[in-house]
Amino acid sequence: MNGIDLDKSEILRYLGHKNQAVNGDIMKTIDVCADDILKTARYRYIYKIFDIKMGFRKGESCIELSGTNISLLGNDIYEHLRDCKKCALMAATLGIEADNMIRVAQNTDMLRAVVLDACAADFIEKVCDLAEREIKQKAEEEGYETSFRFSPGYGDLPLETQRDLLNLLDAGRKIGLTLTDSSLMIPGKSVTAIIGFTKNYSAPVKKSGCDICSLRDTCKFRKAGSTCGRN
Amino acid sequence: MDVIEYIKNKRLIFDGAMGTMLQRAGLETGGLPEVYNIEHPETVLSIHKQYVDAGADVITSNTFQANAFKLKGSGYSVQEIITSGVTLAKKSGAEYTALDIGPLGQLMEPMGTLRFDKAYELFKEQLVAGEKAGADLVLFETMSDLLEVKAAVLAARENTSLPVFATMTFQEDGRTFVGCDPVSAAVTLSGLRVDALGVNCSLGPSQLMPVIDELISHSRVPVMVQPNAGLPSIRNGETAYDITANEFSEYMKTIAEKGAAILGGCCGTTPEYISKTKTAISDVPYVKPELPRETAVCSGTETVIFDGGVTLIGERINPTGKKKLKEKLRAQDFGYLVGEAISQKDAGADVLDVNCGLPEIDEAATLTRAVREIQAAVNLPLQLDSSDADAIEKAIRAYNGKPIINSVNGKAESMDAILPIAAKYGAVVVGLCLDENGIPETAEGRLRIAEKIIAAAAAFGIPKEDIIIDCLVLTASAQQSLVIETIKAIRLVKQLGVKTVLGVSNVSFGLPARPILNSVFLAAGFGAGLDSAIVNPMSAEIMKAFRAYKVLNDQDKDAVDYINNYADYKAEGSLSAVSAAKSDISVSDGDLKSAIIDGRRELAHDLTAELLKTHDSISIINEYFIPALDVVGDRYEKGTVFLPQLIQSAEAVKSGFGVLKENSASDGGGRGKIILATVRGDIHDIGKNIVKMLLENYGYDVIDLGKDVPEEEVVKAALDNDIKLVGLSALMTTTVKSMKDTVAALKKAGSKAKIVVGGAVLNEEYVEFVGADYYGKDAGMTVKIANEVFGHNN
Repeated sequence: MNGIDLDKSEILRYLGHKNQAVNGDIMKTIDVCADDILKTARYRYIYKIFDIKMGFRKGESCIELSGTNISLLGNDIYEHLRDCKKCALMAATLGIEADNMIRVAQNTDMLRAVVLDACAADFIEKVCDLAEREIKQKAEEEGYETSFRFSPGYGDLPLETQRDLLNLLDAGRKIGLTLTDSSLMIPGKSVTAIIGFTKNYSAPVKKSGCDICSLRDTCKFRKAGSTCGRN
Repeated sequence: MDVIEYIKNKRLIFDGAMGTMLQRAGLETGGLPEVYNIEHPETVLSIHKQYVDAGADVITSNTFQANAFKLKGSGYSVQEIITSGVTLAKKSGAEYTALDIGPLGQLMEPMGTLRFDKAYELFKEQLVAGEKAGADLVLFETMSDLLEVKAAVLAARENTSLPVFATMTFQEDGRTFVGCDPVSAAVTLSGLRVDALGVNCSLGPSQLMPVIDELISHSRVPVMVQPNAGLPSIRNGETAYDITANEFSEYMKTIAEKGAAILGGCCGTTPEYISKTKTAISDVPYVKPELPRETAVCSGTETVIFDGGVTLIGERINPTGKKKLKEKLRAQDFGYLVGEAISQKDAGADVLDVNCGLPEIDEAATLTRAVREIQAAVNLPLQLDSSDADAIEKAIRAYNGKPIINSVNGKAESMDAILPIAAKYGAVVVGLCLDENGIPETAEGRLRIAEKIIAAAAAFGIPKEDIIIDCLVLTASAQQSLVIETIKAIRLVKQLGVKTVLGVSNVSFGLPARPILNSVFLAAGFGAGLDSAIVNPMSAEIMKAFRAYKVLNDQDKDAVDYINNYADYKAEGSLSAVSAAKSDISVSDGDLKSAIIDGRRELAHDLTAELLKTHDSISIINEYFIPALDVVGDRYEKGTVFLPQLIQSAEAVKSGFGVLKENSASDGGGRGKIILATVRGDIHDIGKNIVKMLLENYGYDVIDLGKDVPEEEVVKAALDNDIKLVGLSALMTTTVKSMKDTVAALKKAGSKAKIVVGGAVLNEEYVEFVGADYYGKDAGMTVKIANEVFGHNN
């Protein structure tokens, strides 16, 4: 649907695959699950573009989003957007149907559940790519380049920023994306991100993802000598 | 005149958007519009007045998000915002003021973490404040989850006397964000006896037409429609909607002609839209649509309508005569019930009966939990089966949708207890043809009891469509001459205009080849007009009768389902040849260990069955399952196999265990009891469930407390079961804190259990931080830890 195809090698990577032989049953399960999740999930995304300016809050520099009372805190997001004039906030979700499907599978077939989960992980990345392409196009129309996607919880941008982002996007009403008290997004297969618009794409923006990632010490990909691919 | 009287004779006009107007007046993006009630009351009042001038009869207060969740950090309390909001709406001079309440902003269990009781309390707080401030009615709007609306409606009914209007928001696919469809919404909300139901927001009026049609044809109460001003698009960075006030009003005229009683606007609409709508509909006569005469039940996402043919109610979740289910209920193992629910659905059940009645357990709590767990996995409507009115009421509160109550009977005591519950919560109720004098022998006697139940129900406002009469089956081996009275009774009762149901299997009690009698009796019932039957969908004979009848009564169109199931049908003789061939597999196909290592589920199942002829369960576990799992675990650790392969092997052992369990009363290998829980606030439990499967594979008994588990629940289970090992999982950095709290609570309560923690964000260093004893890096490691704790090192 809408030209989204899942990438089997990515799905295998999410499943922790490196170079092991993969038997036919698993490949077949991946095919079936990819097909099922593509058919069942109702993905949606929204984004909004804001002018930004550098500000100062609580004794530290921050990014202010114009026309809102929201500031983005932390050194890393500051570095990320330092040379930017605008930024896009985006939110994407596979919808509750994906969660339901994975949950139900856990009752009857754990292999299917795990593979569905990996397919969903790849799927939401593809949805983000779709949103990002659209945002990039908008940016280019105005003569900007775009930065990579930067998400709450990444670097020292507090996870609690999630709440502000979702409020600004009216994500509950627009795409059914909600947040629990512990800043957990539901539906579970959801992503929020900040993309900078700049005419002056400089070094800090391109800094490797892992170097500033707060999950670097516990990341399962790094433990296995790989990365999550977001750098 | 109160608003309920008003809509009996006249169409009611609501106002349009508030947010859109506030943004025009300078509200910041992402700011709370409700704060304007206090900080800029003149702006809010002026918008209300513009709508009154435009002709709105009802002004909705600017209180959509005024709940404790959303107002957190705003500096204002729920009471302050609601009191000021309702007061401003009243000041506008409108005929009526509606207290506006939107969704709480968090998803309810099982999708999210919000509990029913918590939702109820939050709504109650808003409702009480709104009524006190002088609102004339409450409007719950932009709702996605029927269960959340149910909490809201019950909070309104039980704490205020406000009339209740409730509207939901549907997406392009005709469903809400959580999958609710308009039919289930209309059926459930009509059952809950809201004063009006409908749709708002979501889409423009033209896209909403199919939704409106469905709402009108299934609603028993007036229908309300508040569309957006078309579909949104971004123009110059601002959200704009794509239809004009003129176009909007033309669509609204069509909607009025369809029979909608209450009209207004949502996002993007302005006073102009309302005033043009008012003019456009002024010459449309107010003709109320015909009320649906249907027997409908639903879950939160699927409706079953009995008028379309015969309905199969699955009977298997009932402990009577089922040893295994009794054990599972005593152990509070709901995974087994969910499995039964899924397999009945897959076999073709339309509705599932759920009975948790065992003398030694808390039936109300168990039935309630069972309803929640089953609804999390299966979208079929449920039939809540209990003789205990308290259990029925508790479970029905937790139920998402419109259920069936099984049952009431002709005894005064039963009717007094059950009918008020059916009326209040809007359930369909099964009425048994028996009373103080037992089951009448004759069909006429049973008819009289049916009449009595229908009359008593009517007194509670329960329509005939919400009653299903069970004419009761007597046993052919004991009262053969009376069996046919049941069939006669069905014919008579059907003339009363109610639906009928039978639990057929009683007929064959004490006779051989029971499926033959059951299915022929079922067919006889269908012939007499029987609408539904409580039967075992796993029985091939029963399904044959059902599927065949569905072809004959034109229900299974083009016999699609029938052909799908029986295209390869062979007469009895050849069937047994097939099963003989199947049982002929021999151990030469590879031994059990390699079947497990290769992750071959079916083969592992068959080989275990074969081995069981010569080995006992314990030796199969110890000599085959565990050594094979050790090999796979070892390879996993070394990285020569990856996660899906480990799980394939675990599934293979699980299917082998299935064989052992079928053949012995004891579950598992008795290696020891372990608690597993995903901690409070976290609902990512797939990792925990993998650990559970592997531990069970190794013969441990796992008490799975599920996800989002409060500390006290873990503590209670640990103390009650004298637990030696507790496994906790958390996926989020934010929920590691709950993990720490849980560990602290366990220690404080004096539990001696060792604690193993795991989850994506953890590592060895967290063990100390949370106060645990071990870090289970993965499922294999956790098994090793369990072996160490229980002294099973080999």
